[in-house]
Amino acid sequence: KNITLDRAARVELSCRLDKKYSHLKSLQVTWKRGNETIRHINKTENSWSIQLRILDNSKLGSYSCTLKDEEEISAMFHLQVPKIEGKEKPIVSYEGDTAVMICNSPEYTPIAWTWYVTNGSEQIAINDSLLADKYVIDRISANVTHLKIQKLTKEDDGVYWCEAAFELGKSKGKLKLKVLSLMVPLKPFLAIVSEVVILVTLVFLYEMYSKKKEKCAEDEREFDQVEQL
Amino acid sequence: MQQQGGEGKEEEPEAPAARKRPGAEAADGGWALGVVFHFFLVNVFVIGMLKTFGIFFVAFQEEVGGSSEQVSWIGSIMSSLRFLGAPLVAVICRRLGERPTSVIGASLVAGGCLLSTQATSVPFLCVSMGLLLGMGFACLYQAAAVMTAKRCRTRLAFSNAIARSGMGLTFLIAPFTQLLIDFYGWQGTLLIFGGITLNLVPSSMLLRPVSTQPPRHSPAKNQDRGSITAQQESGTPDGRLDKNAGREIQLRSAQDLPTTEGDRMARGRDASDPALEGLEKPPLDSCSPEIATEAKRSYKSLPPTEKENSQPLLDFSPLKDPVFCIFTWSFVFSHLAYFVPIFHLVTRARTLGISSMDASYLISVAGITEMVSQLLSGWVADQNWTKKYHYHVAYLVLSGITNLLCPLATTFPLLMTYAVAFAIFCGGFMALVLPVLVDLVGVQKLHSYLGFAAFFAGIAAIGGPPLAGWLYDYTQTYVCSFLFAGACALISPISFFFEPSAQKWKLKKAKLNNGPRCG
Repeated sequence: KNITLDRAARVELSCRLDKKYSHLKSLQVTWKRGNETIRHINKTENSWSIQLRILDNSKLGSYSCTLKDEEEISAMFHLQVPKIEGKEKPIVSYEGDTAVMICNSPEYTPIAWTWYVTNGSEQIAINDSLLADKYVIDRISANVTHLKIQKLTKEDDGVYWCEAAFELGKSKGKLKLKVLSLMVPLKPFLAIVSEVVILVTLVFLYEMYSKKKEKCAEDEREFDQVEQL
Repeated sequence: MQQQGGEGKEEEPEAPAARKRPGAEAADGGWALGVVFHFFLVNVFVIGMLKTFGIFFVAFQEEVGGSSEQVSWIGSIMSSLRFLGAPLVAVICRRLGERPTSVIGASLVAGGCLLSTQATSVPFLCVSMGLLLGMGFACLYQAAAVMTAKRCRTRLAFSNAIARSGMGLTFLIAPFTQLLIDFYGWQGTLLIFGGITLNLVPSSMLLRPVSTQPPRHSPAKNQDRGSITAQQESGTPDGRLDKNAGREIQLRSAQDLPTTEGDRMARGRDASDPALEGLEKPPLDSCSPEIATEAKRSYKSLPPTEKENSQPLLDFSPLKDPVFCIFTWSFVFSHLAYFVPIFHLVTRARTLGISSMDASYLISVAGITEMVSQLLSGWVADQNWTKKYHYHVAYLVLSGITNLLCPLATTFPLLMTYAVAFAIFCGGFMALVLPVLVDLVGVQKLHSYLGFAAFFAGIAAIGGPPLAGWLYDYTQTYVCSFLFAGACALISPISFFFEPSAQKWKLKKAKLNNGPRCG
């Protein structure tokens, strides 16, 4: 089971035995975190539980309860900070334009947001006071942050991270930015426009040709009439 | 002299006329195909862009900012202006002709798309995308619809159905748009869309002007006869053959006009008038310029009277016409009945526990069935076994019954049956909307009628989705929307029962108007 915690709390984890196993007599129950065993187990009729005080990041992790008789039954609890979702698809923008990257933490309110840009293999924090005309970080609401990148260039293309800081830890979301030059969509556009121009010219030519043909035919008929006179 | 003319007409050199007939008809057939093709393209692009707006919605919201409500205004303006702009477009069409209007429409759409790439705020987008695109769509649609009616006289229902089947292909545009957005971003996609819609310019050039044969209430038959004799006198007997041939063709095409009793009566009086009318206008299939000048010279008397008869620019006469009221009543309610179930079919399927894959399968099957049934219904209506609006009424009634039975469909097979039946009947009546209007009104006044009918339909289209949503909120079940749609579909054909009496009323009125004039 996944449990998401954004702030320090007291957590009680309990493992309860299902009715169909109640015939088992001698049961040994162990609560473990990794390899470390936890001592103080509260036992009631059919359930075994532990109480944890989660105060900082070190207490988070995976806890397991194992019931041993002849068979082993176990359950896992994952205590973690809220996950931030980035965007699967890259955000497409153009050179010279402005791109807005949005990060959202829907249910839990982070204490602070930080943005990182990936330079090679390093992640560098974005300081918006330093480069104020390039980057603008806006905290629109408690749960939403915007990174506005102005005057895009090809170098801004890459992977960005938005990091939300909670009381108990940090979590990151990944976003991709793709910067295209204006020529890229312009090429198919110009191709289509040239095709249209060709078609229009064709239609014009055909019309002029058919008008000429009619006029010739009319002239011939006039000639015939005059002759018959 | 009259007799001379009469004989001349009879022995009527079948020869030159026959020589011209297959040629002219073949050319006409070719141009009719071109018009249908253009209308098809218009349907694909217009409806496609309207449907894919939802994909742009997300991109706009994120990058340009603005709340969900603000961004959805863009979409509503776009789709409602398409209808609401119709009367204005009708005026422009009558002034400039269909071809220029269509070219203007195509350039408006392309320009709007290109302008939107520079957008930085929602109001900007509202104007550039909503207004420009909406007006462009209205121009394109109106011009194409009326041109189809003018060109395809005999097979109007079938051609209309073929053109409308373009709507069925729009399902391909959505994944294509998504692909473009992933590749180029929304700005690049809009740029490319602008280019693609620019393609509508050469296809609009296929809308060659046609000489229409308006059955006008002529002032006096004597004048017409006088002009014909004058015409026959000038020129040689052989020369006359050609003029007769020309006139024959005009008469024949006049006879092709889809007519109701009212029109027939008018035509009976003006058998000669349309011919002269046709000769006066500079048409493709006119003969030598000689005849044209002769015709112009011979009835200097007619032009002033024609100016009287010509319609004022913004023609409000449809609003006073009972036939128009009948048609619009039915049009508005059938539109409501069409859109509401489509909105709610998928959600209802989901509330019944059907997975969304299956639900979208429902939609695609419905779409394909609708396309096929449109074609079938158009073909059947063209066979002229009975008046077109009888079919229209039958389809509406059947679709209403189907909708009323929908709440009984609670499992996937039953819903599928409902979807198929609904698609069949909807396709049936949708294909016949334009032909029925043409039947009721004739081609000459089609612009103003279609314009105003579209205007009222636009009001219904704006009100439809919010109304459906409100129904759901109020009753907490989707069943009501289907019942509502069924009721609408049953209400709409009621007005058609008044059609015969409306026609009689019109006839009486026309006779009264023309009584004192008949000399």
